[in-house]
Amino acid sequence: MKPTKTTSRRRFLENSALGAIGVIGASQLIKSCAPGETTGEVVVPTILETAVDGQPLRAGVVGCGGRGTGAALDFLNAGPNLSIVAIADVFQDRIDGCRKELKEKKDVELADASCFVGFDAYKKLLEVDLDIVILATPPFFRPEHFQACVEARKHVFMEKPVAVDPVGARAVMAASKQAEAAGLCVVTGTQRRHSWNYQNVVARINAGMIGEIVSSNVYWNQSELWHREKQPTWTEMEFMLRDWVNWTWLSGDHIVEQHVHNIDVSNWFVGRHPVEAVGMGSRLRRLTGDCYDNFSVDFIYDKSIHMHSMCRQINDCANSVSEQLRGTKGYTDCEKTIWDAEGNELYKYESPVDEAGEPTINSPYVQEHIDLVTAIRTNNQIVEAEETAISVLTAIMGRESAYTGKKVTWEDMMGSDMVLGPKGELTMGPVDIKAVIPIAGSASN
Amino acid sequence: MRRKRKKTGRLLFLSGMVISALIIFLGNKAVVKTSTDEYCASCHMHPQSTQSWKLSTHYDNQQGIHVHCVDCHLPPHGEGYLTEKTMTGLRDIWAKTFKDPESFNWEAKSQIEYAKGHAFEASCIHCHQNNYPLGLTKEGREAHLYYERQAGELHCINCHITVGHHDPNRLHAKNIDFGIIETAEVALYTEPGVMNGFNSFTEYIPGSAVSFEMVAIPGGTYQLGSPEDEPFRNDNEGPAREVKIIPFFMAKIEVSWREYLAFFKQTGAQGKTADAYLNVNQGDVDAISGPTAPWGAPDQGWGKGSLPAITMTHHAAEVYCQWLAKITGKKYRLPTEAEWEYAARGGTETPYFFEGDPKQYVKQGLRNKLFGVDTTGINSYIAYIKNSGSRSMGPESKMENPFGLVNMLGNVAEFCSDRYAEDAYSQYTNGPLTDPKGPAEGEEHVIRGGSYRDGADNVRCASREPTRSVPWLKTDPQMPKSIWWYSDCISVGFRVVCEFEEITADQQ
Repeated sequence: MKPTKTTSRRRFLENSALGAIGVIGASQLIKSCAPGETTGEVVVPTILETAVDGQPLRAGVVGCGGRGTGAALDFLNAGPNLSIVAIADVFQDRIDGCRKELKEKKDVELADASCFVGFDAYKKLLEVDLDIVILATPPFFRPEHFQACVEARKHVFMEKPVAVDPVGARAVMAASKQAEAAGLCVVTGTQRRHSWNYQNVVARINAGMIGEIVSSNVYWNQSELWHREKQPTWTEMEFMLRDWVNWTWLSGDHIVEQHVHNIDVSNWFVGRHPVEAVGMGSRLRRLTGDCYDNFSVDFIYDKSIHMHSMCRQINDCANSVSEQLRGTKGYTDCEKTIWDAEGNELYKYESPVDEAGEPTINSPYVQEHIDLVTAIRTNNQIVEAEETAISVLTAIMGRESAYTGKKVTWEDMMGSDMVLGPKGELTMGPVDIKAVIPIAGSASN
Repeated sequence: MRRKRKKTGRLLFLSGMVISALIIFLGNKAVVKTSTDEYCASCHMHPQSTQSWKLSTHYDNQQGIHVHCVDCHLPPHGEGYLTEKTMTGLRDIWAKTFKDPESFNWEAKSQIEYAKGHAFEASCIHCHQNNYPLGLTKEGREAHLYYERQAGELHCINCHITVGHHDPNRLHAKNIDFGIIETAEVALYTEPGVMNGFNSFTEYIPGSAVSFEMVAIPGGTYQLGSPEDEPFRNDNEGPAREVKIIPFFMAKIEVSWREYLAFFKQTGAQGKTADAYLNVNQGDVDAISGPTAPWGAPDQGWGKGSLPAITMTHHAAEVYCQWLAKITGKKYRLPTEAEWEYAARGGTETPYFFEGDPKQYVKQGLRNKLFGVDTTGINSYIAYIKNSGSRSMGPESKMENPFGLVNMLGNVAEFCSDRYAEDAYSQYTNGPLTDPKGPAEGEEHVIRGGSYRDGADNVRCASREPTRSVPWLKTDPQMPKSIWWYSDCISVGFRVVCEFEEITADQQ
């Protein structure tokens, strides 16, 4: 765990000085204040096998699909004295499924009164006595839910992406600052940042092992993710929600929903966000919704550092989910290996194993919760929401450039009034949205 | 001997200690004593400074905290407090002793640009350490994100100008009641004015009780721009060009609030988003979508009526002309800058349209103070920094120019239809020009005449400046920013011209 840029330096110094359990060293602290600068010293944070024990922490889950249920289990596996006390979803069958799984795998009993259904279920859940809220709905809902959690003074674990449009991303940035000021902890499901292998590499890159960073390439090329066929009994809203990864207003499109992971890694390693993007993309084989299924975007940071981003969800094509970062003295895959400019291996991460050859460290999905719980219990505040919102807005900038064919700048994004989704209160009925698949540019007459 | 010397030394040392301690003690006491609100108020006689403070949230708030004069008007302790206190004190003593309180321009001193020098941002931040308290509105959160990205360019008081001294006219908020307060029932004009040949006429705005005078401006040829030896000439005023202007009509006065509010009432788009664009292609007055509600008080609390309308954007001024043209059936538009300067000069070729030397008016030397410059000329014709009190004036305050137009120079600067270019005059082809319309491209537009905020050097007939879209919208917190109202420009308005139909018909 390392402090994010949003953790104020003063607060962090205070916390460190108070002698809270030192998760990171002082030199790491100094480095974290100047991202991208090389100090020459490699400092890798300690990785905890399990969360520090302490006060019991009660969590609620909003969004009980696969990821929400998975996050609930990851949370319970993170350490002692942790419980799930309430769940919420728009669909009863999702509630039932999550309840059953928690009962079977972790013997969690949830009373009917602790299970909430509907678009406003999260509000009822926030009235329950709990400390942490896990937000795992489609990202369209995230800004509103996150704001409500912060206002209710709850710590938050929320899945990426944290918004689908610029207004939502900025709302999360501001709510993140509120959370920080209110002493809350927020972890955002950017699991690469909680992976020890990535942390080992970034520490060496920050220490200057490949010199100054000059470019990056990031990829999330895979087969079709999934889709749902519309059922005769479903309303339009129910169909969209169950098919959400295919709808831009719900998912932000796959460059935002999925590829943001890799874009975030580039932002993390480079230490800032791009200032403009020119992209292209199209929809070739997607079956439902209004999303594209491929993007290729040239993001430009200041000092003319380019990040080329490529993402695709089409079957039977070349696949890769990875990052490549090039510096003046070498290059890295960010994940575990560093080479010099000639291709000689300078560093390779080896996963620690026990005598039986089993890995001794947790999956990053559990590690995120270990870091969150430890931060809360040791009073070492961690707030990742703003940094994740910046990466999400980066992805949105790329998406909008591809949709429009125009160059889109960070300033455009920070001043944009774009809000996706239907206007007004949501209901399980028809959805007032025109599903138009954007086509950039124009043809000659 | 040695012993005695030692004793004297000790005594000296001790008395030194005592004196030092006394100085520190008294000094400290003096600092405390001279830092009370009462002490400040004993000299500071600004109109209502104490009263407006007591009405502000820095005096009357739910926390029961009184924020004192020195809390805002001096930097925090340890960050230059004593230095600034000393400097301020010396300045105040000087002013109190040698200056006439009547001579202070309080209006100018209350403007944000000036106030920034007397309200320390470090002091704001010293108390207000959290820009994102729980419960802050969505708009507030967005605005503070924006503020943080404008590092160094925005001061807290750009938006929160009223927190220390209450001023209902400067609240930084959406002003949805603006312009909709009903006036007394009066007869409304049903027909527009009649243009009877090339003669000055009165225009009536149908559906309103508003009329205004249009002056016939005869055609002619003149030198656009200033000669190279004109005092205070800027490079953008040349090279001077020979220009032919065909006859047209020009409004006698700058568009008044009375006129502008007629437009606002008939087309105003309450509740629409900030960037609601007009649609004028329908050939229907109703299709013109007018301004949204403004931000703050566009009239600055100076009053409306015959005072020139201000703070509308160039776009809004153009839409006003389109609207006026539609409801009167005439060809109203903004003047070109060539028409504007021709009308301002009224046949003269001097810096002003009256006799007067800009150098004399601008001079600040002791001799001028003692003997006084004869500013009779300029004071009769132009509202500028030395006679305006940093406010706009009504048209009755100044005399007409040779064409019978009022306030062409000074008062509020006026939009022209031309795009701005520094070298606009040299961009034209060689030889005499006829009704030039400015460069085809450009981000900003031309403004002319200077304003009540300008010195005598910038209110010459040839003075020209560009609009400044970005800084003039700096503190508009809306996303996107308004296309109708500038949040940070209070000295620009406009004046309409009307084309002479017969000439137009002949040319066609």
